[in-house]
Amino acid sequence: MDVVFNQVFAGLSFASILLIIALGLAIIYGTMGVINLAHGEFVMLGAYATWALQTYAGLGVVTALPLVFLAVAAAGWIIEKVIVQRLYARPLDTILATWGIGIIIQQAVRLGIGPDSRFVQGPQWLTGNLQIGNLVMSNYRLFVIAFAIFILGATWLLMTRTEFGMKLRAVIQNRNISECYGIKAEKVYSVTFAYGAGLAGIAGALITPLFSTIPTMGTGLVVDAFLVVIVGGLGSLMGTAAAAMLIGEVTALFSIVMNDTLGRIAVLAGIILLIRFRPRGLFPSDTRR
Amino acid sequence: MEKLTANNLYSFYGKSPVLQGVSLELKPGEFLSVLGRNGVGKTTLLKSIMGLTDSCRGELKFGNSDLLKCSTPQRALHGIGYIPQGREIIPRFTVRENILMGTFARADGKREIPKYLFDMFPILSDFISRRGGDLSGGQQQQLAIARALAMDPKILMLDEPTEGIQPNIVKQIEDAIIQLNRERGLGIILVEQNVPFARAASDRFLVLDKGRVVLSGASSELTDTVVEQHLTF
Repeated sequence: MDVVFNQVFAGLSFASILLIIALGLAIIYGTMGVINLAHGEFVMLGAYATWALQTYAGLGVVTALPLVFLAVAAAGWIIEKVIVQRLYARPLDTILATWGIGIIIQQAVRLGIGPDSRFVQGPQWLTGNLQIGNLVMSNYRLFVIAFAIFILGATWLLMTRTEFGMKLRAVIQNRNISECYGIKAEKVYSVTFAYGAGLAGIAGALITPLFSTIPTMGTGLVVDAFLVVIVGGLGSLMGTAAAAMLIGEVTALFSIVMNDTLGRIAVLAGIILLIRFRPRGLFPSDTRR
Repeated sequence: MEKLTANNLYSFYGKSPVLQGVSLELKPGEFLSVLGRNGVGKTTLLKSIMGLTDSCRGELKFGNSDLLKCSTPQRALHGIGYIPQGREIIPRFTVRENILMGTFARADGKREIPKYLFDMFPILSDFISRRGGDLSGGQQQQLAIARALAMDPKILMLDEPTEGIQPNIVKQIEDAIIQLNRERGLGIILVEQNVPFARAASDRFLVLDKGRVVLSGASSELTDTVVEQHLTF
């Protein structure tokens, strides 16, 4: 039984990371219909930015978070301005373009920093565990879970309580008429893309103490994040959150009863079945075409 | 107040010119009706003024500003309010959010909803928290007009505002349009199939056919012969 509880907790912390990555993906796809295949590389950039800030500036992971967010958001903003923005009329081409961008970023990091794994020290004040009975929860993982909830709340507030969020929701539903009422859709797109990239950066920063920081680290994560977006359905933040929980937990619990590879196959088979019966995911939005 | 002028305006979807050398003028506070059969470019004319077609050539000015150099949001900020065919309110926004959205195009950056909108369309204050998509067609049309008025426009362009709307609301909408022109001094471009209303409401009219202006004049010249010749099928 203890094994199950500990796995549930591990699943929860993995789900938190997935949630932050998937939120960025879902917002970018939901707003401009761009399937951002460079998203995993934004995660990786976030991790390397954290490593750089720790190695050269002595900043802890937590202190570095806002800076990493801004840095990766800036990278996303530039990429949107220079490349993605020219391709909104050709959605299929954005897949190819963002894939290419991902490769370029990955290889640039490999050439510039090196292919070997980098180590990032977790925050001192979050070492140690919280133990309830036989359930051992590391303080850092607890922090990751709390931070993911904070990010979800902040994103929800941004979307529903701010003027930017209202403009974003207007553009999602009807771009032309939004522009007729003074909303600069291009600007909304740039900021949204940058925000999604920034979230990926934060996820990258948060996993540095848990994962090894290597140039290909984003690829596997972004596959899971795509699964979250597909299962959650577009258009609701809560759907994305629920799907992240589901996939995180299912992955963790499967690995108790079978090995990782078989667990993976089981999860994918489950998702294929789900998509067969609910092609728009668990929580589809009711108006987006 | 500014004057809207189009001079030899061509407007394109892809490579095909839908408007071919249209010229028009709307003085401040003037009421212009745009008539014509289906598919002659009436909607395209309004879209071109808003910058929603693929490209435009010729001259399009509002006061001293060259609208062809402005993006769609900039044109809105100049004070051109557009109420498209089919209303296009935002379905998942509440009535209040839909009206508030209009204020994003205010030149002064204020975010307040003018009170008189609710005197004009009381139903909107009753339904203020409902989703726009849940309103009836007539209510949506009133909402669309209110949204455009919330931007405090100088001119208002309406594309068949009474099309497909229940008769009791048609009268309200027509009265509101006339009132906005006469009492608030709004310039109005109205695309309309309903000739009697166009004749009664407008100062001038123009008739489009195959993307060109084939006739224009004062609304008193909008006689039955004109209707026979250009507007019946």
